[in-house]
Amino acid sequence: MTTVIKYLSPFAPDISGAVSVLFELGGLIVICDAGGCTGNVCGFDEPRWFQKKSAIFSAGLRDMDAILGCDERLISKLQDAVSKTDAAFTAIIGTPVPAVIGTDFRALKHMAEKRTGLPALTVETSGAGLYDEGEENAMLALFQNFATEAFPVKRGTVGVLGVTPLEFSNLRAGDIMAAAVEHSGLGRAVCYGMGSGLDSVQHASAAEKNLVVSPAGLKTAEYLKTTFGTPYIIDCPLISEDLNRKLTGLAGKRVLVIHQQVLANSVRNRILAGTDADVAVASWFMLKDDLKQEGDFRLTDELRFAAAVEDGGYDVIIGDSFLKRALRHYHGQFIDFPHFAVSGRLEE
Amino acid sequence: MMNRAYYISAEELAHRGRSNIPSELLSSAHLIYSSPATLAFNSPGAQGFGVKRAGLAVPGSVMLLISPGCCGRNTAALSKEGYNERFFYMMMDETDIVTGRHLAKIPDAVREICEACDTAPTAVMICITCVDALLGTDMKRVCKKASEYAGVPVIPCYMYALTREGRLPPMVAVRRSIYSLLKPASKKPDAVNILGYFSPLRDDCELYSLLRQAGVRKIREISRCLDFGEYLKMSQANFNLVLNQEARYAALDMEKKLKIPSIELTRMYQLDKIRNQYHLFGQAVGVTFDDQKYYDMASASVEKFHKNHGDVIFAVGEWTNADPFELSLALIRYGFAVSEIYGTVGDMNFSYIKKIARLSPKTKIYSNLSPTMLCYDVCDSNVNAFIGKDAAYYHPGCVGICWNEELQPFGYAGVTGLFEALDTALGKEGD
Repeated sequence: MTTVIKYLSPFAPDISGAVSVLFELGGLIVICDAGGCTGNVCGFDEPRWFQKKSAIFSAGLRDMDAILGCDERLISKLQDAVSKTDAAFTAIIGTPVPAVIGTDFRALKHMAEKRTGLPALTVETSGAGLYDEGEENAMLALFQNFATEAFPVKRGTVGVLGVTPLEFSNLRAGDIMAAAVEHSGLGRAVCYGMGSGLDSVQHASAAEKNLVVSPAGLKTAEYLKTTFGTPYIIDCPLISEDLNRKLTGLAGKRVLVIHQQVLANSVRNRILAGTDADVAVASWFMLKDDLKQEGDFRLTDELRFAAAVEDGGYDVIIGDSFLKRALRHYHGQFIDFPHFAVSGRLEE
Repeated sequence: MMNRAYYISAEELAHRGRSNIPSELLSSAHLIYSSPATLAFNSPGAQGFGVKRAGLAVPGSVMLLISPGCCGRNTAALSKEGYNERFFYMMMDETDIVTGRHLAKIPDAVREICEACDTAPTAVMICITCVDALLGTDMKRVCKKASEYAGVPVIPCYMYALTREGRLPPMVAVRRSIYSLLKPASKKPDAVNILGYFSPLRDDCELYSLLRQAGVRKIREISRCLDFGEYLKMSQANFNLVLNQEARYAALDMEKKLKIPSIELTRMYQLDKIRNQYHLFGQAVGVTFDDQKYYDMASASVEKFHKNHGDVIFAVGEWTNADPFELSLALIRYGFAVSEIYGTVGDMNFSYIKKIARLSPKTKIYSNLSPTMLCYDVCDSNVNAFIGKDAAYYHPGCVGICWNEELQPFGYAGVTGLFEALDTALGKEGD
């Protein structure tokens, strides 16, 4: 049996996740591809592309670059672009091409820093991973490179880790999240990568605490805790008004919430705060054991997804309506909960 | 630190010559800026006709994309175009990428998707990407095996972005693929195929009438074939008309395999050149075309627009159904000003640049793909109308037309349609 996708289409890949984290930070981002991966990111997975300018470039690799080794040529092009644009750092993002030819990303980082004089990040994505892996790796590399100095802690400030349009399906997710954090009494929020720049990352040690709103932010929160002693909590105070309105009439029902784990857990908590429903969480993406409850499960392919839904006897599914295509025999209630990384659809 | 978009005047570029094109205009010499202005042609998978959508031009076919997830991600955008039921994916993991073990699974995958279709597909197009280009996969052999196993024609479509500037770039290769199912058949002297596009010519294109004048009764385009049976009848053609040079290899294949010769015509917007091309075409097929009324109609549309909007200053882009340099030259020859052109300079269009340099030496030539286009500032521009979706991106406050519709303009009808569309778009200003 092969794993063939018949009803859905591929979810946002690791490359898109990595770019999503870095998009607003003023770096010069090079996707190490022939053009198609960059087109996918810019034309589909990065909805900010049509609203804000960001220095995202394709390496423009050609077959001979790949066969003969492209490092020197790539770094020369990077150096040239740095001389013509205003960049605070450079970032090189992997794709299937460097994955096949075995590109040495550590060497690329050293070469880029030496030739441009700017800090360089490398994110070794392959295009076969999912967006949250790319986000996790890019975020960690970003903070390890730039959040290195200990600043005095500002009381009442909260660093928010894991806000991207891929996670929250909203172009204003940074602003809305900041408002939700403040409204919940957690403090004054700095949403890294959405609504705040590189300077905020550099001053990350000044946050009194960190809030992790998606699993992709966990490793970075651990890094900041280990390096600066900044404590973190895992929660998502942001549930859209639209979804909130739909979370009614669930008493006594078996409910399955499908999204990224932290947000899905928050939806479960919101449901259980008002009613006695039986709620499980499932995700196509990272499912951290520490955040799982009994009955939660990871989704891996269409067949198993359909079987799990049938076997679970769920009365209500809360998930991106795009997923309905794979549930041809499900006749329960389906509450739409957009997930950009799944369907490429923003909240309305 | 440069903080403006790079451009060169037509005069200077012509003076430098085609062997000394500045590196900023050569996409292979720098990083590539994939701005919203370039998505359709720089990464056609994202918008427009890329390999994935083009491969499905064969009626009744389905596509199996075999790749890491990233290559198929944006295919979701095509679901709006009604392609939902025709795309299937076999996702490669990191081990597949390195070892190529996925190849052994393809026959099963083909059989599985055939069984999943409500109607049996006429063909399964296997779309493969850079990974298999680097692995050196013999996809023809894999497809043959899958075809024997699943009992359906299986055809490779090479989405090898790495080979984009090579001898057989993806959009050339896919044109070969979509005609490769045709089998030799007895010829019908009154049948002609039009090759080149994945969507039809505009219904008002005079080419249909001119061909009928020459005794052609059956004109076939792949996009107008309602079913697979009709598609197979393309083998009966007396000759192929190639309207886009990217179909040249497909035509050569058809000549070799099906004994169908071809004639190549070029899309142009200069009326005298169109007339001359039809004259030469007529000579080749032994007829004299009466194209006067179409010429007059196109000429009248140019004159009408000139009367209404003679002082317009254009920006012309390449995300449009035209060669931006040929179109700009036509506009300049009709008496309009073209201040900016966004295009890819190459051997094919350098002759237009030399002519533009003589008539409008100060016209600025930009490369959409240059990283410096990140710094393009519309405040430095005197443009007040655009043609092309990329030009529209640079000039959001201007009026104009994208001129990138799927129905393809060609010949006099293309000129007429262009100026009528411009007249409509700019009408408010002219009124």
